[in-house]
Parts: sequence; C-alpha cells; structure tokens
Amino acid sequence: MPKILIPTPLRQYVDKKDTVDIAGASVGEVLGALTAQYPDLRKNLYNDEGKLRSFVNVYVNDEDIRYLSKDKTEVKEADTISIVPSIAGGVR
Amino acid sequence: MLKIEAQPWAAMVEHGRACFPRECCGIMLGSVVDDPARVCTVAIPCTNAYQGDQKDRFELNPKDQLAADRRARELGLSVIGFFHSHPNEDAYFSSTDLKHSWPWYSNVVMSIRNGEFSHAKAFIANQDQSAADPEELQHD
Repeated sequence: MPKILIPTPLRQYVDKKDTVDIAGASVGEVLGALTAQYPDLRKNLYNDEGKLRSFVNVYVNDEDIRYLSKDKTEVKEADTISIVPSIAGGVR
Repeated sequence: MLKIEAQPWAAMVEHGRACFPRECCGIMLGSVVDDPARVCTVAIPCTNAYQGDQKDRFELNPKDQLAADRRARELGLSVIGFFHSHPNEDAYFSSTDLKHSWPWYSNVVMSIRNGEFSHAKAFIANQDQSAADPEELQHD
C-alpha cells in the first residue's frame, strides 16, 4: 500500500513513526485515512474548511499534486507520498 | 538547545558569505537528542528559489527538501531545521520568517555584514506560528 513519509515535526502525532503505510486509491483518500487514524494530525494538515493548509506541500514520488489532480491524484501500491513544509522568509 | 557540529557550521557560514549580498538558505540534518534538544551533523546549502530580489527574501525549493529528507533517512538522521542569512542586517526572526516557518523546526538566522559572518541566532516558532522563541545555539 502507499507509503507516507512523515516530516520530523509531525512524528509526535503518529506514535513517533517516520513512515506510515495507508491504503487508498487517491491522495485525498490516503491522507483522509491517515488523519482518521491519527486525529491530532488533522489540524496540522488541513484548515477549518477541510482544505490542505497553504504551507503544506504534498508530493507523490517527485511530483507536486498541485500540478497533477490535487487531492484526486491517483496513487498506486508502490507510490510514496511526501508531506513537505513550505519554508521561506526574509528580512522584513 | 541546538548544537551544530564544526563541519556543518563551516558550510553554513561559507554559504552565507558566498551568497552575499543575497540571502542564502539551506537545510539542517541531525538527531533529536532529548526533544527539544538536537544536534546538527549535516548542513545542506540550497539554491535560493525566491523569484524576485533575493537581498531580503529567500524560499526553499521543495525538491531540495525532498532530496534532503531522502538523504536524512539514508543516513539515519532527521531534518531538524533550516538556515538562512540576513545580508547587512541583524540575526532576528522577522514576521516573514515566522509566517513562512513551521513549528518545531530549528531556524538559524545568520547576520552577514559586508560579506563576512557577523553573528547568528536560532529560533523555534510556536504551534500556531504567532511567535517564535529564541533557541540556545551552540556551534564548534
């Protein structure tokens, strides 16, 4: 089943695991099942409208789902889903 | 507390100097000793991906983060934070830094003045990113 790579700050919400395997046919299904299994994770990934937070990037293998079919992006058994923090900044 | 070993620290400072007068950025790999205490053993200098004037802005390319995460897992390490420079400015955590950060991670800000390292500070954003607390920084 698809493998989700958990970034360091979120491991505290998934029993300190760095990887979680979750069944599902799309990114939305897999992340939905992940946050159902680990409810504390939900507020870190989704806003109050149930959309992925703006500073959360999701990749299937090496592809950003924003340029695929977003949460409807299909995933296969051997796919890896990465949750990547959006990091930027500046002097002001 | 964040301790940065000599080799990654040298790489971070050199990247800050080399990018001057633009902001540099990069990724720190290491181990969590006793959360929140952590040790940085690898620093990965990255290309500033900000599309605009980089003298006062930086952005990490998510593909660099994917690669860094893979490398961390191969080495049995974790991504523990990020670093960037403030050219000709002090090392503080700006409102832009805070807005575009994530909780938990260490954020090292280096002040580079006239192309030379001046000083550095570390910060951790709180859970709702409304403020950042200073983090004790040690480097060899």
